[in-house]
Order: sequence, then C-alpha cells, then structure tokens
Amino acid sequence: MTVIWSRLSCIGLLNRGQRNISFFSNTTPSNWNKVVSDAEKIVGYPTSFMSLRCLLSDELSNVAMHVRKLVGTKHPLLNTARGFVYDSRNNLQMRGLVVLLMSKAAGPSQHTSSDLVSQDMVSGIYPSQRNLAEITELIHTAFLVHRGIVNLKEWANSDGTLKDMQFGNKMAVLSGDFLLANACTGLAQLNNTKVVELISSAIGDLVQGIYHEMPNNVEDKSLTDDITMVTWEEQMFLSHGALLAKSCQAAMELAKHEKDAQGLAYKYGKHLSLGYKLNSDLQPFMKSSSADPVTFGLNSAPVILHRQIVGQEKWHHQLQQAKTIGTQIDYTKLRSSIKLEDGITSTMDLCRYHSSKALESIQFFPSSEAHSALENIARAVTKF
Amino acid sequence: MAVQWSHCGRWITAAKSSTLLETICGLNRRSNTFAVNSLLGTGTVAGWGNPGLFSRHVHTTSLGSSLFTRYRTKLLYQTPKLCSCKRTHSDAKLIDPFSMAQNDLNHLYDDIKKELFVSKSELKSLCDYYFDGQGKAFRPMIVVLMARACNIHSNRDRDLLPGQRAIAMISEMIHTASLVHDDVIDGSDKRRGKTTINEVWGERKAILAGDFILSAASMALARIGNNTVVSVLSQVIEDLVRGEFMQLGSKENENERFKHYLEKTFKKTASLIANSCKAVCTFYIDTNNPRLQGSLLAGQKRFVLTVGLYPFKVSILVNSDPEVHEIAYQYGRNVGIAFQLVDDVLDFTACANQLGKPSATDLKLGLATGPVLFACQQFPELHAMIMRRFSSSGDVDRAWQYVLESDGVDQTNYLARRYCQEAIRQIGLLRPSPERDALVRLTEMVLTRNK
Repeated sequence: MTVIWSRLSCIGLLNRGQRNISFFSNTTPSNWNKVVSDAEKIVGYPTSFMSLRCLLSDELSNVAMHVRKLVGTKHPLLNTARGFVYDSRNNLQMRGLVVLLMSKAAGPSQHTSSDLVSQDMVSGIYPSQRNLAEITELIHTAFLVHRGIVNLKEWANSDGTLKDMQFGNKMAVLSGDFLLANACTGLAQLNNTKVVELISSAIGDLVQGIYHEMPNNVEDKSLTDDITMVTWEEQMFLSHGALLAKSCQAAMELAKHEKDAQGLAYKYGKHLSLGYKLNSDLQPFMKSSSADPVTFGLNSAPVILHRQIVGQEKWHHQLQQAKTIGTQIDYTKLRSSIKLEDGITSTMDLCRYHSSKALESIQFFPSSEAHSALENIARAVTKF
Repeated sequence: MAVQWSHCGRWITAAKSSTLLETICGLNRRSNTFAVNSLLGTGTVAGWGNPGLFSRHVHTTSLGSSLFTRYRTKLLYQTPKLCSCKRTHSDAKLIDPFSMAQNDLNHLYDDIKKELFVSKSELKSLCDYYFDGQGKAFRPMIVVLMARACNIHSNRDRDLLPGQRAIAMISEMIHTASLVHDDVIDGSDKRRGKTTINEVWGERKAILAGDFILSAASMALARIGNNTVVSVLSQVIEDLVRGEFMQLGSKENENERFKHYLEKTFKKTASLIANSCKAVCTFYIDTNNPRLQGSLLAGQKRFVLTVGLYPFKVSILVNSDPEVHEIAYQYGRNVGIAFQLVDDVLDFTACANQLGKPSATDLKLGLATGPVLFACQQFPELHAMIMRRFSSSGDVDRAWQYVLESDGVDQTNYLARRYCQEAIRQIGLLRPSPERDALVRLTEMVLTRNK
C-alpha cells in the first residue's frame, strides 16, 4: 500500500494549486456522482483502482518518477496523469463499472457449462467478468495516454520545449504500451478466444475513432462542413462507444449467455456511450453565466445539428461574425447565436433517444438492484 | 535464461579471475545442462525456458550441485551428438532458408494487408507502409521452417497447418507494430532506407498506426482459436514493452549491467522469435471442444475444422509432446539473442547506408550494447560514459574509438556464435529434415550477415 501512496503523492505533487483543473474539461450534474457511487456498492467492491498489479509494477513507478520532470511543460501526459488522481467527474472507471453491473444484471447463464461454477461468483459476478472490467479500464486509460501524444514538428520552432515534448512523448508511448500489453495478457488469461477477438476489434475501433478526432480548434471550415450527424455518430461510436459496447457483449459471452443477450448488452453499451457523449457535448451550452470562458468543438453534436438546421450559408455567416481579429473565434458570441436556434434542443432529443434505446435493450433482464442501477445510469445521461 | 542469470553472481565470485566473456560462456554451457536434463526427463525444472518467471527458478539453485555433476556425465554423452550436428551444419550449406520458406510466404504481405482492414484511406496507408515486401520477413521464415521441422518430427508430415502460417504472419505484424513505436521513442527518421512513419505523418498518427497493427494481429491471433497460442504470443507483447522499459535505466555494477543487457535483448528481440517458434508446435487437441469430440471418439487422426476464416486441419500428433515446443523455444531464444548481438555489432561496423540506418545509433541514444560493455573491461574510462548515457559532448566519438580499439566487437561476435551453437544443438534434437538443416544454415547467416 505504501508504494501506491508514495506513487500517487508523487503524481499528486504535480497538482499542487491546480486542483480545479480536471482532465475532463466540463463539470457534471451532481446527480451523476450519486448514481455512480450507488452502483459501485452493488457490484461488491468498487472497480479496482486500475489493476493493482499494474500500479505496483516497476514500470509504472518508473514512469511516475519521470513524469515529475514534465512539471511546468505543456505535454498533455501531465494532465492525463493528474486525471488519474483527481478526477472530479468520477467517471474514470465508468466503463468497468457498467461491465460489472451488466454481468450482475444478466446473472448466471441458464445452461451453465461445467467450467462455470456459480459458487465462484463474488457478489453475483464471475471472476473472469471482473478481470474483463479491469481490462476495459486498462484499454481506456491506455488510449487516454496515447491520445495525448504530440507531433514534434509542431513544436520544433519553440526551442527548449522540443526536448520536453520528446521526453513526454517517450513516456506516453511507453506507459500506454505498458497498459495495452497488460490488457493483452489479461485477455489471454480469460481463455476465451471469442472474447479476445471481440476486445481486440474494440481496440481497432478505438484507434480508428481517435485517428479522426479533430484538434479542438479547427479553423478550417471546409473540414467541418462535411461532417453530418451520421458521420458524427459513426465516429463517436468508434472513439467513445465501441469499447463499452463490446465489453458488455464480452461479459455475456464469458457467462455463456446466448447471442441475443449478447446483442442486447452490446446495444446498451452503445446507446449509453452515445447518450453520454451527447450530454458532455451539451455541457458548454448549459452554463448560464456568460462570464465563464467557454470553448466547444465545432464538430460537437449541438454545432453540427445547428448547422444542419440553419443551413450552410447562415452558419458561415455566423462563424464569420464570431471571428475576432486574426482567426480566433469568440466562442461566447458563437454560443449565443447557436442558443437562439433549435440545435441544442435537437441534441437533447437525440440524447433522450439514446437513453431510451439503452433502457429498452435491458428491459427484459430480470429485475434486480444491478438492473435498476443500469437504468439509473441510462437515465442520468439525460440530466443536463 | 533466468537460471543462467540467477547463477551469475555466484559464478563470478567463484571464479574471480575469469573474464566476463568466459563467465558468460561458462554460464551458457551450464545452462545447456538444464536443457539437456529437462529434455532427457531427468531435470526437475520443466518451466525454466520462461525467462519472465524469476521467482519460479530460484528454487533450482539448490539443485545446482547435483545438476553440476550430471552436467559432466551428460556432456560426455552429448559430445558425439554435438559432432553430428556440426556435420549436418556443413552438409546444410546448400540449403537456403529463404528460398525454402518462399512458397509458404508468397502472399504473406498481401495477407497482412487484408488483416489490416480499415475503411479510412490515410490510416490504411500508414498501416501498410512497412508491409511493402521490402522487409526480409526473417521472423516468418524461421516460423514456417520451424513449423515444418516440428511437424516432420512429430508425425512425419511436413504440411503447414493454416494456424501455423497465421502465426508466421502475426509474428511479422507484432514485429512491425513494435518498430513503429520504437521509431517514435527513439526519434528515428529512417527505417529500411525509408522515411519513418513518424517523420512523414507525425508522432501521434504513428503511435495510433502501431496500435492498430497490434489490434489486427491480436484479432488474427484470436481467430486461430487456440487459447495456448494466444497466451504464448501475448507474452511476447508484454516482453517487448518490458524490454523497452529496461532500456531506460543503466546499472552501476558491471555484471548486473551485462545481465540486464542480455535480459533486455531477450525481451526486445528473442522473445518474439522464441515464442512464435513455440506457438507453432502448440497445436493440440482441446478435448473440451465439442466440435472435436466426435472425431476424437471415432479415433480419427486428422480432420478439418473450420474456425473463423481458417479451415483447420488439426493433426493429433502435432505437439502432444512438450519437449518439441521446448526445443523450438530454445532454438528461437538462442537464435534471437545471437541475431540482436550481431545487430549491435553491425551498429559499430556497418557503414551507414548498408543497415538502412545511420551507424552508432545506439550510442547516440545513450544505449550501451555488447561491444561497449566488453570494451569497458579493457577501458574502464567507458564506465562513466555508460552511466551518463554518452550525454556529454564527445562521448559518442570517444566511446566509438574505445570500442574499435578493444576486443568488444570480436567478443560480442564470439558470444553470438556461442548462442548459435546452442541453437544448433537444440534443433539437432529434432528428427532430421531439410527444414531442420535450413534452420541450422540460418544460424550461419545470422552470424555472417552484414546488413
């Protein structure tokens, strides 16, 4: 234990005086925290803080030591590391939790084969399903880290920084790879090649989704113009939904549940993720005070829907008006013009649609605490 | 390996006057004893081939003395066999491993590209970038030759099983994925004479491409449908990362340093070859598999099974015997380490364009490889430079000079040769076949390659 604490405090050092900076930029409805903490009690014990095995490894302590050197630099790995310790949204382990709840809600399979003994279950969850939940978190975290790799050429002209960025990248590549490698060996230990294939494909989806993520401040409007809600949904499924959907499905496979149960679990994971993503896309538009500095992606759902509603021409005009000297965008101004139209309400409707689809997919699961927790989570995404 | 190094400290204190090289070779010979013993069924260290499990091997030290006595007798017994291997060696000169494996590897790169299924064209071109057919396909070649050699050994049928070919493909994919990430970590701009992915598309996309290749490899691996194969090759992925981490640190103590270097070499290079070799002889009948039970009961010896995309011809005889995959593993491990040792030598001796990358890259990256570690014995001045990872100005040039003036290069080559001899001894335990001879010939090529 002492090792963990020293390691955490080591990362924590970085955070002194900056507690308010969370890895996730937007804040949560307090409701969400309650739903999550209630749900954690149902699955027996909270999703382990990543894998203990991983945290205690020499490799990660090495990284933690090196990450210290990044204090004061702009490398994104620093923020990611902060997020591990101070996560105000409480959703770092959200995927693992949903996998556990889904496992528990579905219960043991009717046609339990010899190698699955229900006595092995702890709080109604098979050990293999717990491992899967952990693997899901490992993969998710690995990509939080790999997402933050920077292109060195973009830093080449600011001297001094290049070395920091190079070093930060090295640490980010290594620690992300380390988490992924642990996920791989963990997957192999599940002794189920179908699950290995499914989760590996989720990793591929995640990569494709992240690959096409746009940097936050895309100025080139031609880039944003061709993104429709259809492509938004495809991309968001890849980057934010596939891992959860496929992990939920894999949890059913591990308990030898039939194909249709697997399909329903997949649907729940998919729609929940999309609903959740819509909710967080909406957050910048929910803050009432215009004093707060605000930014939002020009490819976030409310903006795309707004653009579709008002038409390309009017959108370009609004975008032009919101531009200050240079190419900077006055987001507060842009937000007010978006707020005047129906883009935001359409986004809310879409979010409610995904929430109801998630609820629908689990309606035939036997009623249980875990089942209601899944329902609460699906409902919580529609609280804006 | 693990046994070998857990003995390291002891051996050195026992023989203070011996040089590092003698120590290593002595240990190497000693470790062979373990192999011989376990192969002949007298050893108690069945799992010693797995270098990751140090703790598991610690207990064997207590057997040290009794094994040592056995070693002497076994060595006597082994001598004629070693000679016969040498003879095979010279007979095998005509067999070119590359052309022998050619048929099996004809569509290797096309098949890999099919596995890398992405709809978005840019990511696709990044992923395909190194699968342009210009690589040597060194790993897949060893894998298919080993598969055929083991098949012949076990059932006198040299046919390659589809799963075995899939492993050859996967080994190349894992290798490439790790190259892509290594290039980002090392900041390299050239690879096999091509501009690296990170140089063309930037670091962020390069890392994602590497991750994608790995996920595709992992899917292909899962589709083989064999849990043992999945766990053997997942171990490789873990070793690759751990090896990369080992490169971050340097050890103060000289012996520790060598041990660290060889362990890193195993993890970064040899593990992939060793475990792929092991995986191809790991197909066995899973008696719990309902799809197979009928046929098993009927007493059939071969049958076709379709798992995912691959129609499987499963041979009952392939690999029921654990010794075969241990031989395969040991061959791969020894060849793999030799391969890397030679690579480290070439970093000093080959001229820049031959290797497809500039020379002395390791020194520039702050890495002390075999030649430097040996040179450090003659020129203790190197010690300080190693510790500061050649970071002071002029360090790289001075270290380079010291290495060339010392026996570092020769000693590293000699060490590589010893590893190859052990590989030959291991493969000699299989039934003779043209593929086995090709694998013997291959060790020669590993030692004599100049690029």
